[in-house]
Amino acid sequence: MKLIFRIAIREYLENVKTKGFWIGILLFPLLVWMMIEIPKFLEERGIPTRNLIIIDRSDGLGEIARERIKLLNRQKTLGDLQVHIAKHTADMRDQMMDDNQVDAVDVLDQLEKGLEQLSRSDIEINIFSPDQLVKVADLLPEEMLLDDDKWKFFKTMVGSQLPEDAPEFVEPPARFREVALIDEISLDDDDEAIENHLKPYLRAEQNYPTDDGEIELFALVIIPENALDPEQDLHFWSSNLADTDLIDAILKSLSEEARKREYTRHGIESEVVAEVASLKVRSVNFNPNKSEGDEKVGIRDKIRQYAPIGFVYLLWIAIFSIAQMLLNNTIEEKSNRVIEVLLSSVTTTELLMGKVFGVAAVGVTMQIAWIGSLIGILRLKAGPSATWIADLIAAVISPELLGGFVFYFIAGYFFYAFLFAGIGSICNTIKEAQNFLSPLMLVMMVPLGTMTFIPNDPNGAIATTLSWIPPWTPFVMMNRMAANPPDFDVYGTAIMMLVSVVLVFLASAKIFRIGVLRTGQPPKLLELLGWLRSKTF
Amino acid sequence: MTAPIELINVTKSYGDFNAVNDVSFTVPEGTVCGFLGPNGAGKTTCIRMMLDILRPTSGTISILGAPRALDVRGRIGYLPEEKGLYKKMTAASIIAYFATLKGMPSALAKKTARELLERYGLGAFQDHKCEALSKGMGQKVQVLASIAHEPDLVILDEPFSGLDPVNQGVMEEVIRDLRAKGSTVLFSTHVMSHAERVCERIVVISAGSLVFDGDVHEARALLPRRVRVRGSNIDEVLGQLPEVVNSAPSADGREGVTELTLREGADPQLLLKTAFDSGIALEVFEVVDPNLHEVFVHLVGEEAREAAIR
Repeated sequence: MKLIFRIAIREYLENVKTKGFWIGILLFPLLVWMMIEIPKFLEERGIPTRNLIIIDRSDGLGEIARERIKLLNRQKTLGDLQVHIAKHTADMRDQMMDDNQVDAVDVLDQLEKGLEQLSRSDIEINIFSPDQLVKVADLLPEEMLLDDDKWKFFKTMVGSQLPEDAPEFVEPPARFREVALIDEISLDDDDEAIENHLKPYLRAEQNYPTDDGEIELFALVIIPENALDPEQDLHFWSSNLADTDLIDAILKSLSEEARKREYTRHGIESEVVAEVASLKVRSVNFNPNKSEGDEKVGIRDKIRQYAPIGFVYLLWIAIFSIAQMLLNNTIEEKSNRVIEVLLSSVTTTELLMGKVFGVAAVGVTMQIAWIGSLIGILRLKAGPSATWIADLIAAVISPELLGGFVFYFIAGYFFYAFLFAGIGSICNTIKEAQNFLSPLMLVMMVPLGTMTFIPNDPNGAIATTLSWIPPWTPFVMMNRMAANPPDFDVYGTAIMMLVSVVLVFLASAKIFRIGVLRTGQPPKLLELLGWLRSKTF
Repeated sequence: MTAPIELINVTKSYGDFNAVNDVSFTVPEGTVCGFLGPNGAGKTTCIRMMLDILRPTSGTISILGAPRALDVRGRIGYLPEEKGLYKKMTAASIIAYFATLKGMPSALAKKTARELLERYGLGAFQDHKCEALSKGMGQKVQVLASIAHEPDLVILDEPFSGLDPVNQGVMEEVIRDLRAKGSTVLFSTHVMSHAERVCERIVVISAGSLVFDGDVHEARALLPRRVRVRGSNIDEVLGQLPEVVNSAPSADGREGVTELTLREGADPQLLLKTAFDSGIALEVFEVVDPNLHEVFVHLVGEEAREAAIR
């Protein structure tokens, strides 16, 4: 035991001293920081205003399109305003929660009730965006946003929520802006002439002159005379056809108009249609596995279902980061023959255990550093919203669930660690190890693929089958834990995992014992099986 | 008191091939024993079996009275044939690490490591990483790592290979120091001059089988003694003696010197007496004892050559 400890300590210290370890530790927070800062930077630069020209040959459909563009612009402004207020009131809200001894679970209860009301309408709720759970713009009728007076009043009212010391809200540039035709062309020209004339601008070969200076022309929209006729199509010219927001919005508004006119033609009031169309049949979801009286499936169940993805990722990264260390170390000892001296002092089992524990400790150190720096950065950079999410997740993860994660994490970790040490022992160079490593990496890719769809059907046939295949058991079971899998699966796979870890350890110890003294070509698979069966070495 | 090393009918086979074939020998306590044999004779396999790194196919091994070396691993020091160190560790820390694995307390191990490095001329390199040491220095560090815990039994596989003459001298000094402390030392080599200078006993194996086990005098006695003489009528008088089995010009290149090979057990003084009695004036009279090199070639020469051709 003492020797295992000494070997582990040496492994730990030697690995911690390497450049790779420190690069690994520092790179992660740097990446997180960049992940936060780059979108912010891009956001600050903003999506540039898209400038467009509308040629309207119809009886007023152009106005409908223009209204829609105005709506889009106002919705964006309102969204930005909402985020601005949320950001500057976050500390205040946090303070309030602290003062009133409100914990995340209470907030969640309140929220669930409130959102349940909202969810009866078609409003989209984004639980993972505390700054904008619901878009205010979605709550307001379109007429209100389009009415200039009401818009102004509303903006002032929302703006008054802002604390006094907060910076003033700066209205973002418009998302879309219609620009006037240049003097060289007029509406009297035919479509083809206009198109041809504007092409160089649309290709961004030339900047388009306006009263406000030269701009980049994003799109040209030509609405034909009988645009609502199914035979007639709009012409949408743009070099950037990937950004479909504009044309989608225009088409949507014109389609609505077409339907409205058809209803009127048939003598039906369009308001009645809208009302009828908004009728919906709803369901409340219950889960029979949950305790009585609490069977209703709500937001917290959603969080519970998806939170394990974080743990699956963590396990995956943990295994990935130690794999290379274990391989390198074993191969180094083997190739420089230190192993022979070691084996005259310690048993193979002690050596293998010492190595795996030492490297595991390195991995754990790295992860603690990562998690620590992640929390630190989130607190610094993302403000209280990030901790709010963390609180929410913590609130829905029960101790049993956490216990499950810890068990499967450790089991999975050692399963792979022993496997990698065994592989290291039969290879003389990293190059040789790669041959064994590639198929193993493919095996390890599977849980990454299944991770996202298992929450949809956590107790389905695929999830259940995968749970019983040892290399995937820890990942899949972590994924399923929140969905109350049958006891048989939980205890069965737990026992199987323990047995697998012991078996992998014994097999690795044996292969290790023979492998480390072997030089030359790595053994063939059949030969390996022979080693496992052999009694002497 | 059992012998530190005792092998009884030890065989190690890999499939049909017997790497070691029915080898038995003992090394008494406190002796320095040379373990000799040509390349591929099975020396390293034997040593690995003694250390329980490999298990024999049949036969028994007793090390310091224990059936398995791992039971007494704290009292054994081992230097493998292929030398290597952790590249990133310093000379002192690697010696200390190996000593702690043998059960030495950490603080004492560190102190001992520094003392040893000082004593054998590596004091200035204590805190150098092993990758910065020359091959010879690295090898010395490894030798020190194998003896830092003051073992009762030291097994050195080819300790001289790769060392320059000065460091070979240091290595011999290390072995003599170990003997002075009462340790038993077994070392393998195929350079006979080292064995000749430091060994009391030699064990010779060839093609997996034991061909000699005894002390150095016994080994020398395996070959007849020779006498080099120069004078008149050598062949006519001395060459005709029944004690002389062969007479030929000396191979050492000196003009007119004849080398006479004596029958086993014959006394060279007899030649001197005969020459005196016959009135032969001897300008040269040298008794040449066979050296271990010749004994070795005599013992394993044919097989080694065959092995080389195979």
